[in-house]
Amino acid sequence: MDAIVIKNVTKRFKKSTIRREYTTFKSELVRWFTGKVPKSDVTSHIEALRGVDLVVPKGKTVGIIGRNGSGKSTLLKLVTGIYTPTSGTVQVNGRISALLDLGAGFHPDFSGTENIMINGIILGMSRSQVKDRMQEIIDFSELGDFIDEPVRTYSSGMFMRLAFSIATHVDPDILIVDEILAVGDEHFGRKSRAKMEEFKKSGRTILLVTHDLGTVQNWCDSAAWLDGGKVRLFGSPDEVVAQYRQAVALAEASGRPLIPSAISADGGALPSTTATPQPIGGPSPANGRRMGDYRVEIHQVRLLGRGGEPSALFDTEGAFEVAIDFVAREAVEGVGFRCSLVRADGTIVYTTSTFAEAVPLPSPLPDRGTIRFCVDRLGFTQGSYYVDVSVETAAGMVCDSHHGLYPFSVRSTGGDGGIARPPHRWQFDAVARARAAAS
Amino acid sequence: MIRNLRELYRYRALLWNLTQRELKARYRGSILGFMWTFLNPTLQMVVYWVFFSVLTKQAIPNFPYFMFIGLLPWICFSSSLLSGTSSISDRRDLLTKVRFPAQVLPATVIASNLANYILSLPLMVGLGLVLGVAPTWHAVFFPLILAVQLLLTLALVYFFSALNVTFRDLQHILGNVVTLWFFLTPIGYSVTQVPESYREGLLLGNPFAAIVSSYQAIFYRHESPDPKPLLIVAAGALCLLWISSMIFEGRREEFAELA
Repeated sequence: MDAIVIKNVTKRFKKSTIRREYTTFKSELVRWFTGKVPKSDVTSHIEALRGVDLVVPKGKTVGIIGRNGSGKSTLLKLVTGIYTPTSGTVQVNGRISALLDLGAGFHPDFSGTENIMINGIILGMSRSQVKDRMQEIIDFSELGDFIDEPVRTYSSGMFMRLAFSIATHVDPDILIVDEILAVGDEHFGRKSRAKMEEFKKSGRTILLVTHDLGTVQNWCDSAAWLDGGKVRLFGSPDEVVAQYRQAVALAEASGRPLIPSAISADGGALPSTTATPQPIGGPSPANGRRMGDYRVEIHQVRLLGRGGEPSALFDTEGAFEVAIDFVAREAVEGVGFRCSLVRADGTIVYTTSTFAEAVPLPSPLPDRGTIRFCVDRLGFTQGSYYVDVSVETAAGMVCDSHHGLYPFSVRSTGGDGGIARPPHRWQFDAVARARAAAS
Repeated sequence: MIRNLRELYRYRALLWNLTQRELKARYRGSILGFMWTFLNPTLQMVVYWVFFSVLTKQAIPNFPYFMFIGLLPWICFSSSLLSGTSSISDRRDLLTKVRFPAQVLPATVIASNLANYILSLPLMVGLGLVLGVAPTWHAVFFPLILAVQLLLTLALVYFFSALNVTFRDLQHILGNVVTLWFFLTPIGYSVTQVPESYREGLLLGNPFAAIVSSYQAIFYRHESPDPKPLLIVAAGALCLLWISSMIFEGRREEFAELA
């Protein structure tokens, strides 16, 4: 059975509630006397969702991505039952626990313990159930003595700890999280991720809204891209994220104003990427690690060591070269290359481009060619790295970009560490003074 | 209406907890704390006592006791009405962030005011004993009158709280109406002092006048309350509760968007 089934859901808000937040006595009087209905009352609606279909299978983790104002939070509020759909149906099978906002329903003057009780009951537990879990929740939140202090004295991180602890300990079948984990510190962030992992393993459903695309790729079983009030793409996280990134890049490059989608007539959808040109050669773009319009393609990237030999293992003190073979399918003006050296954990050790260093290149490029990024002494410490390369125009339009495709390792001689080994030497200056004289 | 009340029953644990929290929050941070439950009506009574007996030369024996009988239910009723009206529009944090049964909010206000009323009753009885008025068997009618009062309060609060979400002026208008209402209700004076020609109209037109004079009948005059006005009020309140439940249910979906 599916945990959440959303069928052709639309949600409309009255615009007047946004423009003049409340109906006032004065405005009502004016309306009666003039007998006129203000224009905004009849016509203007905000369409936050325009026909959303989404099925979240039981036990799966689904990430929702999309621009600000694309309807993500509205969708979550419909799923949790805070809003009711204007049309269409939302079917939820199982008990929901939602973390939509920090400390929703917390009473500032009450202690953490008292708030756990009230929030637990709001989330659908009985008093005795909350009492049974009270200690567990307090332990997980790691608030210590603060649990007896009024929550108005809490920092935002402590708020989040309490809210997260309650929401994950009420035994929900479906957990809904709206961009909140970012608040916790390193330690609690790890802990809450572990808790979510435990949730996944125990076969529960998680619905996640986030702008952290890495989280979606690493975490979710599938992803939904919400755009212009509709689900634009539903599928594997890698693919959805790649398409989303590309559409945003296209929109930025074309200079389109990125207005919130709900208030524009066409839903303000991002430019289409469906007519994506396919590259002729080079690695497959299917896994989301390659994208661009392929007017200039990178067909091959070779990592070369000493003497120009292809290699995947380099010495700290050795030479390093990235050879990029390109094919220009169109005569594109002002094209340059970018090369980034990235550590396996995502830290960019160095990134540069032909633009940044004003490297003279022919414009337009010849049909075929090779550009080399040559390093005489690599200087990286021992570890795993990869190379990212791209071809782009001066305006930032990406012609071809290869991300995470070319790994290499660095071996080092000594027990040094860190990221880079700058050229260095040790020097010792002896102090020419006898120890006895000092004492 | 039945659905509304049933749902209220389903969320009774929440209602109970929120009421507790409301009662605790009310006096949290004040030095006298819970004593204010007794001090507030007493001080208010003293003010009115001075006003009514000294300035208007009232001739009601045991006036403080008489005054208390009407004043306590009035405080319960009027503060329920005033804070109940804004109870939904004030709690947007709850309604927009979690799925929350909206009808619990006005009910919480009423429940906590009711608790205050019940808790201050010993004060009234004690005052009566000091002044030499002991309660008689007529007090058995008390739950009945209280039920009518609650029915009326619930009906009005549901009605106003649902409307106040879109029409915020209501809470300010009501504040003034309630002040006027107090003086139109025989709390500081007796119904018998009202000219005969107006009396019927007052008792029928002002539902709370019927309730207060029933309280006065059982506690002060030691007689059975006049059933006719009480029944009319009960029937009217039931009708109103039915209507306001419908309005409440109908508007409920908008609460999260407008609150």
